[in-house]
Amino acid sequence: MGIAIPHDEKNPEAPCTTHSAHLYSPRKLAWWGLNYLVQQPDQTETQVGPPQKMCLDADGKPTQTGLKFAEKWGVDFAAVRFEQPAGKKEPCAVVTITKRGRPTKELLAETLPGLVASLHVPKAMRWGKSDFEFVRPIRNVLCLLGSDVVEFSVDGVRTTGTTWGHRLHHRANPAPVAVASPEAYEASMEAAGVVVHFLERRARMEVQLHALASEIGGTVVMDEELLDTLAEIVEFPTIVRGAFPKEFLELPKEVLITSLKEHQKSFCVEDAQGGLLPFFLSAANRPIEPGSEAEKLVAGGNEWVLKARLYDARFFFAEDCKTRLEARLEKLQALTFQRELGSYFQKGERMVELASELAPLFGLSPGHAREAARLAKCDLRTLMVGEFPELQGVMGGEYLRREGEPEAVWKAVKEHYRPAGAEDGLPSTAEGCLLSLVDKLDTVVGCFAVGIIPSGSKDPLALRRAGMGVVRILWERGWGGDLLGLCRQAQMVVGTKATKPDAETMQALEAFFRDRVAYQLEQAGYAGPVRRAALATGWSDLVDLKARCEALSGFAEDARFASLAQSVKRIANILKDEAPSEAFNPDLLQQDEEKALAARLAALEGTTDMRQLLGALAELAAPLEAFFTAVMVKCEDAALRSARLSLLHRLRTLFLRVADFSQWQ
Amino acid sequence: MHIQELILRLQRFWADRGCLVGQPYDLEKGAGTMNPLTFFGALGKKPWNVAYVEPSRRPADGRYGENPFRVYKHLQFQVILKPSPARVQDLYIESLEALGIDLSKHDLRFEEDNWESPTLGAWGVGWQVVLDGMEISQFTYFQQVGGLDCRPVSAELTYGIERICMFLGGYDNIFDLTYGEVKTDEGVFPVTYGQMRQREEFELSAYSFEHADLDLHRRLFEDFEKEGWRLLKTHGHFLSAYEQALKMSHTFNVLDARGAVSTTERPGVIKRVRDLACGCAKAYLEHEEGAPTDAAASAEVAK
Repeated sequence: MGIAIPHDEKNPEAPCTTHSAHLYSPRKLAWWGLNYLVQQPDQTETQVGPPQKMCLDADGKPTQTGLKFAEKWGVDFAAVRFEQPAGKKEPCAVVTITKRGRPTKELLAETLPGLVASLHVPKAMRWGKSDFEFVRPIRNVLCLLGSDVVEFSVDGVRTTGTTWGHRLHHRANPAPVAVASPEAYEASMEAAGVVVHFLERRARMEVQLHALASEIGGTVVMDEELLDTLAEIVEFPTIVRGAFPKEFLELPKEVLITSLKEHQKSFCVEDAQGGLLPFFLSAANRPIEPGSEAEKLVAGGNEWVLKARLYDARFFFAEDCKTRLEARLEKLQALTFQRELGSYFQKGERMVELASELAPLFGLSPGHAREAARLAKCDLRTLMVGEFPELQGVMGGEYLRREGEPEAVWKAVKEHYRPAGAEDGLPSTAEGCLLSLVDKLDTVVGCFAVGIIPSGSKDPLALRRAGMGVVRILWERGWGGDLLGLCRQAQMVVGTKATKPDAETMQALEAFFRDRVAYQLEQAGYAGPVRRAALATGWSDLVDLKARCEALSGFAEDARFASLAQSVKRIANILKDEAPSEAFNPDLLQQDEEKALAARLAALEGTTDMRQLLGALAELAAPLEAFFTAVMVKCEDAALRSARLSLLHRLRTLFLRVADFSQWQ
Repeated sequence: MHIQELILRLQRFWADRGCLVGQPYDLEKGAGTMNPLTFFGALGKKPWNVAYVEPSRRPADGRYGENPFRVYKHLQFQVILKPSPARVQDLYIESLEALGIDLSKHDLRFEEDNWESPTLGAWGVGWQVVLDGMEISQFTYFQQVGGLDCRPVSAELTYGIERICMFLGGYDNIFDLTYGEVKTDEGVFPVTYGQMRQREEFELSAYSFEHADLDLHRRLFEDFEKEGWRLLKTHGHFLSAYEQALKMSHTFNVLDARGAVSTTERPGVIKRVRDLACGCAKAYLEHEEGAPTDAAASAEVAK
């Protein structure tokens, strides 16, 4: 552990650090900051004591009380002044005392042990005989302020001005590494075989990965997560390239990529056509000279291990291919999806039913949809998915493709877990999107129906992600219709497995999906007022919602908008305590301004295109303003008043087709 | 290097550094941790250093002796150091060098890997040790064993004997390894791992996947459990009761290899083994040191 606190003598006024950095490697945690004061500034404060008359006797000599006051603050009586402080009725004894600033080093020595002990560690451990808890055993503490060691100890380990280099590759020089100053820390460590900056390790690996891949005419199958992991495992990264026997290329690409990643933390290399090359790239934790014996041994060792892994993968693949995927259907009976909702076999049956109902809604053939749904979960019982759970779906699809199923079926199965997260895309085919939708709807609606509802940080079945998947599929595919209607259909299929009343479930689903849809609008980049106004008038048809958001976004720039929004709010206020009649008789209207408005209303009520409608509504800005200036809505004449209220009511209904402008702020 | 040479070198190395050289425990078990030398040794305050070979059975890993890398039974070399020494990682590295591995020419990574044994109520924090991309050891600081806090903490090092041998010799098939050499008046006869073990792998795999009597094993599981609790509760005998827990564990592994334990039952069955093991740990510590060290952990056991 290293704590390095440089100070900047050119800038002694800086109250505390202005620059800091966190550095870490598998064996080191370090922090440093710039511009610390060597000495904390002095502080003066004024203390008010007893009244003057109690401190001085008749001769102006100090009394016992006066002397005690001076003694209390550690000053000579001569330093006591008499002033009348604000809020006092008479002059009192006053002293000004100066608190000397303490050396920063002393303060740090007092503070840092507690700071280290209080660092939050997700999974803390103890070691040896001590009760101290930390992420890993503390063996050394380097702490410098400038070039001075700040003296303290953590769990019996005293601070030093030295630390250790690479465990193996700095052994030729077994003495601890002296660090002259915080600024020298990174360079001293680099010389001792440790790159202490995570991003630097990551960047070096990235450069080497690309270079080694292009040497063999390929590109790296990049995996940011794997790169992060490797940068956290090694102290001095060197990428080595190895080869594996070509015959393993017969395995599906996903199997190779996953096997290399999960078992060997290695990257694959692909050619320009996206086919894999029989090479892999691994990160070693040491410097390696190109062409050295070490390079040969490390690469050779990795090749040997990888071959064993691929041999296993090929064994699983060959075993799985011996029987048709369908043969696993029965075995799904013994695989529980969720206690109340039953096995994966039963989930599959529900998916088939829901897929047949939903397929026609999106113009798809129910035949393929049913078949894909029936076989979707079979691969959970294959050896390959048993070994690599992350290949679920992918393997089912691969096996079905090899069995000669139509593309509409195998591709749907292959991609039906997508989108796997916010970064992931939708399934590439409409059938895949339908299957994914059906699977996720069944999961979300089924779980809600048995009372499993995400709350706060509790979402063990990742229902929020599944719900987001449902929303994204409808949104990105442009599949209109009624999202809550789809939920109700899924609810029918879940049927008697539900343990909660249907109405309660639907209410919870409505709140759940409204949040997901709101998030989708945010992700799509619509401004706050657009989202609120559009959501408030309904969100269950995502195609309609999208059209309204688009129209509103374009319109928000329009200068007439402020006036229009104002008028709409005014309408809402007027109608707040009224029950306007649906029947509207324009002949009752008297003033030109209201007649003009009524005429425009009649023309607009037939418009269906949102953008066109909103454009036309904008043209109402001026007539509306004129109306409110000239017309007294709540007049004495009951019939006229009723006609005017009806006019406004119909206008409001028209606006609400696009958005609730009272939410626009 | 022959398998027996590797074992001898590790024993010598750790004996020279203050370890007792222990022996495998003569009951079926899935890992060296289950040997009472570790399970009970890691509990309590007294210093305890021990190193031993443990044949470990994993019925689900059986491949009929046909897979060159996976076997029903493999050898673990287990080291327990209590309290964990400050130089423990350096000691481990020196032990690799004692095996003839020139680390200046190889790559060694310590990758975070926190270990947990739900059947023993044990967990720890540590690393898997990866040599040129191959996991060769597990390195753990025990935090709890038998549901009880380890104070002081032991370091546990587990070496995969066959793997290391295969790696050192560049073997592509575990059965091609040489166990050692038999010397007679007629000459020197190397004995391969295959000669010693391949038939055993075949029969034991066939037993776990095909021939084991499931009803018998279900019955055995129940009986071992009853026997264990009787020994522990009626007689306060934690060592004989612990043997029953080990038998339960192996019986469960056989049932599991046959797919006879559903995913939903699994946690419940494992808990029954753990409860007995935790009961034994508590009784052991009371016997050794008088009172439970950790009130919360004891409350957990009582559940």
